[in-house]
Amino acid sequence: MRFEVFLPRVARRAFGFKPVLADKLALFFRDAGRSTDLFLGSWMGKSGLLIIGFFLFVATYASLLMPYDINAGSGDLLQGSSSEHIFGTDHIGRDVLTRTAHGTWPSLTVGFVAMAISMGLGTLVGLASGYWGGWKDEVIMRVNDMFLSIPWLVLMMVIASIWGSRDLSSVIVVIGVTGWSTTARIVRAQVLTLKERQFVERAKAIGSGDWHIIRRHIFPNVVPLIFANAILTIAIAILSESTLSFLGLGPQEVDTWGKILEDAYRASAMLAGPYPFIIMPGLCIVFVVLGFTFVGYAMDEVLNPKLRKR
Amino acid sequence: MILAKRIFNAFITIVLIMALNFALFRIMPGDPAVFMTPRSQHTSDATYWRNVEIMGLNKSYPEQFVDYFVDTLTLDWGLSYDTEEPVMDIMDDAILWTLLLMGTSLFFTFVIGVALGKIAARRRGKAADLSITGFGLFFYGMPIFWFGILLMVIFVGNLHLLPAAGYTDSGTTLKPFTFGALLEILEHLVLPVATLTIGSVAGVTLIMRNSLVDVLTEDYIVTAYAKGLSPAQVMRRHASPNARLPIVTTLAMDTAFILGGVFQIEVVFTYKGIGWYTWMAIQNKDYPMLQFIFFIGGVAVVIANLLADLVLVKLDPRVKIT
Repeated sequence: MRFEVFLPRVARRAFGFKPVLADKLALFFRDAGRSTDLFLGSWMGKSGLLIIGFFLFVATYASLLMPYDINAGSGDLLQGSSSEHIFGTDHIGRDVLTRTAHGTWPSLTVGFVAMAISMGLGTLVGLASGYWGGWKDEVIMRVNDMFLSIPWLVLMMVIASIWGSRDLSSVIVVIGVTGWSTTARIVRAQVLTLKERQFVERAKAIGSGDWHIIRRHIFPNVVPLIFANAILTIAIAILSESTLSFLGLGPQEVDTWGKILEDAYRASAMLAGPYPFIIMPGLCIVFVVLGFTFVGYAMDEVLNPKLRKR
Repeated sequence: MILAKRIFNAFITIVLIMALNFALFRIMPGDPAVFMTPRSQHTSDATYWRNVEIMGLNKSYPEQFVDYFVDTLTLDWGLSYDTEEPVMDIMDDAILWTLLLMGTSLFFTFVIGVALGKIAARRRGKAADLSITGFGLFFYGMPIFWFGILLMVIFVGNLHLLPAAGYTDSGTTLKPFTFGALLEILEHLVLPVATLTIGSVAGVTLIMRNSLVDVLTEDYIVTAYAKGLSPAQVMRRHASPNARLPIVTTLAMDTAFILGGVFQIEVVFTYKGIGWYTWMAIQNKDYPMLQFIFFIGGVAVVIANLLADLVLVKLDPRVKIT
C-alpha cells in the first residue's frame, strides 16, 4: 500500500514525497506498528521491557536514589541486613544496596559494548564468507569452526590472562572477541540463501557492485535475523563478565556486579555470611539476563514470522 | 562421500586448534623456563639453561612447531610447570571425574527437560506453560557458579545435609573399590549435578516445547488421532520421537558451553576435574597443562558434533548429511 494515498494531492506535492521513499515510510510505519503490537502482546515482551526499563532507571538515577554515598564506608564491616543497611555492608563497610545500584551502569555497559563488538565482527565475517563463497568461504568457516569448538570459558580465561590488564575495556574486548562465531554462522547461512534470490540476481544483472548489493540488498535482510540474537548476546556478555570476575580475571577498579560478587566470594560471604552481600549482585544479574532473554525471544517471534505460533 | 568431507573438516578444525594452541601459548607473557627454575639464590644459570634445552626454547619457531605437532600426536604433553609431573598422569583421573559429572548432569537435563517440554507444549499458553518457560529461563539466566554457591549456602552451610567439596571425603581411597566409596561419590555428586541440571534444563525444555508445538500440527499427528489413538499414545509413539531430534543437534553444538558450566561448578565445589585444574593452571601460568586442556576440550567438541550428525542420521532417516 502506498503511503501517498493517505495524503491529499496538494500535501503530496508540497512535501515532494518521492514514491519510493513514501513506500518505504509506509511499510516502515505499518510494520513498526504491527510489530510493536505483536511484541507487547506477548507476556515475554512486556515483562522483559519492564525489567530492562527498571534497571535502566536505576542505572541512571543511582546516585539520587541511594541513601549512601558510594565511597562512604561505615565502621561496621560485613554486617547482615539491618534497618540502616537493608542489604548489609561489604568487607570495607560500604552499603551493599548502594554499591549494587551503582554497579548497574558498568554492568550494562559491558553487555552492550561487548555485544556491539561481537555482533559487528560476526556480521562482517558472515557477510564476507557467505558472499564470497568458494575457497575463501571454506577457509573462514574452518577458522570459525575452530572458535566454536574451543571451550569458550577456557579461551576467555587464556586470552584474559595473556592480556594481563584488568581494566573494564580490556575485559569487554575479551568478551567481545570470543563471542562472534555463532553470529557469523547464522549470518552466513542467511547470506547463502539470499544470494540465490531473484532481487540479488537482478541487481547483478543491472551492474550493481558487490558492495552496493551487500549494503542495500543483503544486509537489510540479515538484520532482523541477528537483531534478536544481539539482545541475547547482551545477556551472555553480562554473564561472561560475572564468570570472569568470579575466576579472578574480571575488571578490577570498576564496580560491576561481577566485581561485587568476587569481593563477596573473597570475603567468604558464602560460609559465614552476610548472605545479602553475595545474593544481591547475583540476583541483579539473574533479572537483567532474564529481561534481555525475554525481549530477545519476543523479538525473535515478531521479526522471524516463520517461528510465529500457528 | 559427504561424510568423508565432514570428517576431513573435523580433522582440519583439530589441526587449526593445534595451531592456535601453539601460537597462543607462545604469546603468553613471561619466559616458561623461568617458571620452571626454582627461585632461590642457590640455583645456577645452568639449571635455567637445562630447562630451556628441555623445553626446546632455543630452537626456532618452525622447529618448535614441528616438535609440538609430533609431541601432540604421540600424546606427549610434557611436564606440568607446577608439579613437574607428566601432564597426562595428572589429568587422566581428572578427565574421568569430569566425564562422570558431565554425563550424569546431561542425563538428568535431557530426561527432565524432555518431560517438562512435553507438559509445556501440551498446555501451550496456559499457566503450566508460562511457569515452566518463565522459571526455566530464570534458572537458565543464572550465573551458574553463583547458583552453585547459593545451593552450597543452603544445603551445606545451613542444613548440613551434604558434603561441600571434592569427589569423596578426604582420606577415602578408591583403589579397593567399596560400596561405601561408591555411596560417598554419589553423595558428593548430588549438589554439583543438581546445580548443573537445574541451571541448564530450560535449554532442553524450550527446544522440546517449540519443536513439539511444530510437530503437533503435522498431518501424521491428525492421522494418528483419526486412527483412534489416545493423546498419550500419540505423544509417545508419534510426536515425541520426532520432536526430540533437534535436541541432539543443539546439545552437541552447545558442548562448548556445557563444558564451560561444568568447569565453573568444579571450581565452586573444589571438584578436581579438568575445570578445577584449568583454574589452577591459569593461576600458576602452567602452560603445558593449559595446552592440554585447550586441545582436549576442542577435540571433545569436534567429536561431539561429528557424533551428533551420525546419531541424527540413525534416528531420522529423512536427514541427509549436507
